[in-house]
Amino acid sequence: MAMVMDLGFLSYDDYSAMDAVTTTTTTTTSTTTTTTSSTDEGCNWNDWSPVVDWEALSGDQEDFQNLIDSMIDENNVVLQQSIRPSYVHEEYNNQSPEYNMATDEDSKGLRLIHLLMEAAEAMAGANKCRELARVILVRLKELVSPTDGTNMERLAAYFTDALQALLDTAAGGAKHALGGGEHHRSDVLAAFQLLQDMSPYVKFGHFTANQAILEAVAHDRRVHIVDYDIMEGIQWASLMQALVSRKDGPPAPHLRITAVSRSGAGRRSFGTIQETGRRLTAFAASIGQPFSFHQCRLDVDETFRPSSLKLVRGEALIINCMLHLPHFNYRAPDSITSFLSGAKTLNPRLITLVEEEMAPTSDGGFVGRFMDSLHHFSTVYDSLEAGFPMQSRARALVERVFLGPRIMGSLARIYRARDEEGGYSWGQWLGAVGFRPVSISFANHCQAKLLLGLYNDGYRVEELTTNKLVLGWKSRRLLSASIWTSQDSDL
Amino acid sequence: MDTNSKFLHTIANPRINTNGGLLHLDMQPTTSSSSDSAAEGTGDAKWASRLLRDCAAAMSDKDSAKIHHLLWMLNELASPYGDTDQKLAAYFLQALFCKATDSGRRCYKTLISVTERSHSFDSARKLILKFQEVSPWTTFGHVASNGATLEALEGEPSLHVIDISNTLCTQWPTLLEALATRTDDTPRLRLTVVAATAAAKSAMKEIAPRMEKFARLMGVPFEFTVIAGLNRLGDLTKDDLAVREGEAVAVNCVGALRRVDVEERNRVIETIKSLNPKVVTIVEEEADFSSNREDFVKCFEECLRFHTVYFEMLEESFAPTSNEKLMLERECARSIVRVLACDDKVEDCDSERREKGRQWSERLREAGFTAAAHSDDVVDDVRALLKRYRAGWSLLLPGEDGIYLAWKEEPVVWASVWKPS
Repeated sequence: MAMVMDLGFLSYDDYSAMDAVTTTTTTTTSTTTTTTSSTDEGCNWNDWSPVVDWEALSGDQEDFQNLIDSMIDENNVVLQQSIRPSYVHEEYNNQSPEYNMATDEDSKGLRLIHLLMEAAEAMAGANKCRELARVILVRLKELVSPTDGTNMERLAAYFTDALQALLDTAAGGAKHALGGGEHHRSDVLAAFQLLQDMSPYVKFGHFTANQAILEAVAHDRRVHIVDYDIMEGIQWASLMQALVSRKDGPPAPHLRITAVSRSGAGRRSFGTIQETGRRLTAFAASIGQPFSFHQCRLDVDETFRPSSLKLVRGEALIINCMLHLPHFNYRAPDSITSFLSGAKTLNPRLITLVEEEMAPTSDGGFVGRFMDSLHHFSTVYDSLEAGFPMQSRARALVERVFLGPRIMGSLARIYRARDEEGGYSWGQWLGAVGFRPVSISFANHCQAKLLLGLYNDGYRVEELTTNKLVLGWKSRRLLSASIWTSQDSDL
Repeated sequence: MDTNSKFLHTIANPRINTNGGLLHLDMQPTTSSSSDSAAEGTGDAKWASRLLRDCAAAMSDKDSAKIHHLLWMLNELASPYGDTDQKLAAYFLQALFCKATDSGRRCYKTLISVTERSHSFDSARKLILKFQEVSPWTTFGHVASNGATLEALEGEPSLHVIDISNTLCTQWPTLLEALATRTDDTPRLRLTVVAATAAAKSAMKEIAPRMEKFARLMGVPFEFTVIAGLNRLGDLTKDDLAVREGEAVAVNCVGALRRVDVEERNRVIETIKSLNPKVVTIVEEEADFSSNREDFVKCFEECLRFHTVYFEMLEESFAPTSNEKLMLERECARSIVRVLACDDKVEDCDSERREKGRQWSERLREAGFTAAAHSDDVVDDVRALLKRYRAGWSLLLPGEDGIYLAWKEEPVVWASVWKPS
């Protein structure tokens, strides 16, 4: 026979309900009964507050957190050293003499770096764990914002977003719109102007390339420049100015510029290529520079067809490749490869290449290159802040419009190449496929130094190889401009 | 290598295999998503369990750089108020940290005293009742044990139930009701409760009058005794229990034996045997923190396994913002610190080293007990009980050494019946 039991839910408290009932029905004057109705869970035994003291309970948790934090305390050198990777340690030491007095800001910065590194490791390191990466990014987002806080905090916000985009894509989500979507045209123009004013990043590339071009076409009557990414064309305004003002030598040669354009790019924030062409044409006319403008469309998959270029016999062909200025769509390596390979078949007089300079990481893998990228952009942020410490809104605009998308693109590139040995720069690639280096002239080098003189004195220029000038901030190299040719001519 | 570069080395050289070269995966840049899934491997195991186990291994290897690194990571990501992974990370981190800094005993005592300060009888009772309402974790043992006890004591006029358990007498109302309603001659019941912790002792002050009143209402002649003089269960003697002539003794141990220091367990079981009980009902959580107590990593993994199941069960049984769930989790936190970061013997503190049914069975047999299977009626009652709860619970009947409550096919609670051979 099965036992009949009110399974489990009968408790001795139910007595108090019954008790109350029996007492009231007998209407005794007994004072032993409870005060309750049946809804009260019983008790008369209430000499204290039953509320659980959460503060007391969570107190030990917070103390515990503090205990952990004290592990990362600057006073605890041994622990600190074992937590902070020396790799970053040194660079930060070099950058700021005040560093050794570790501040809250510094420790937060280090904490962010450490978290970012862990996230990168979890995404693509030896013990990949997407769940872990996701959780670390959640944590990072709690700690940072792209518009508030220190350089490191804002930078970390962009890197967090970039990693999140990689994670989403890798997990099979929709391809993240790299470049972060559209910006208002006025924002872009303003940001571009600000970037030029606040730093030599734009002009360094333009001036170095232009000087090399001027020297290369000193005796030519017709010059044809194919520009991979013309943007608003300011590089050519200054070239034309220089051509027109040449004191010695023949009159200004006829200048033809072909701008490479992407099909289906939609309306870019810089305005269409046609507008750039119109603007350049008008400017050329205004200074008396013989000029014509063309476009060359890439295929939908961004393959470059050299045959679609209109070439003229006797013209000096220049290939101009500015890869350091952010464009809103990340340039796939295939696109650049296609362009440069195609260009080689045309036997150009000169190739001018400007790109971000990343430190060579021999065995870094994804994490090593990620850290390098972090370091790179951190230096850029520092350089902008050093020059314009009070203009934080202006810098934030530049960060949002240019650097953020740049970070996104940089990480995407690193991630794609994560299992390849040793990243290469485009300069190395050019050398490898048979382009020959062209020496940077003394004049060019001097001009670069003069340019830097207009900005904060933390900027440096060095001639890394005979054909390459590198712009750096303090001890970190940021941008390189290199000159190449494909001919055997005695340039 | 010094610790810094060694640390950096472990991060910056993720794939140096024995050939010294980098692994080459099939890299087609345009189809990176497919190469990702190919390279996944065990990439998506739960992150908390990953980090925790790596840390335990590092502790066992005494790799201090790695230990610090993992503790730091866990600290960043853990939260006792987050999801299950975050909670497990938080509580196990606490234990790992205590172990690393040799502060387990201090931490445990602090946690105990905090709980005692802030809990009242009322809150403890509410907690137990709420838990019983949403999960059969404890009611399973009650139903199985009460059923077996009633059957074993059928026809006896004078019953003495010795209760060594942690459920604040919530098991006994149903027994009293059964005694009152099913037999014509209601037997006398003497209930002796062994309270070995301070919390239990003070709770008994509240419980005694309630039980007496309830028994009066049920019409069961009742005597209630509390043994509060013990500091530890291991000190229990036959004399403490003062069994009288002519009584039919039933001993009920729910979650009690695990609180006895491991070396004293056999002795306690012998003490129980010396009472010459008609039946002994034992209920314990199914986990083994005892046979592996010399092997930190093994013990850690078992502890993590068990508490992962427990926390997931809590998560699915309670409402998301339940206070009771939080309190139960904190109870686990104390238990985890006790098992992983404290010495076996801590004065005035319970053990917490659970053993599995199989292990307890061995001990009981050695002491001269024989297993008695639960009757079909009792098993039916248990099945009926489980139906009252959410899906996920089931009953496992592997053999004669007891029955198991299972959560999602994992055995979690063991209930058994023993008689002297």
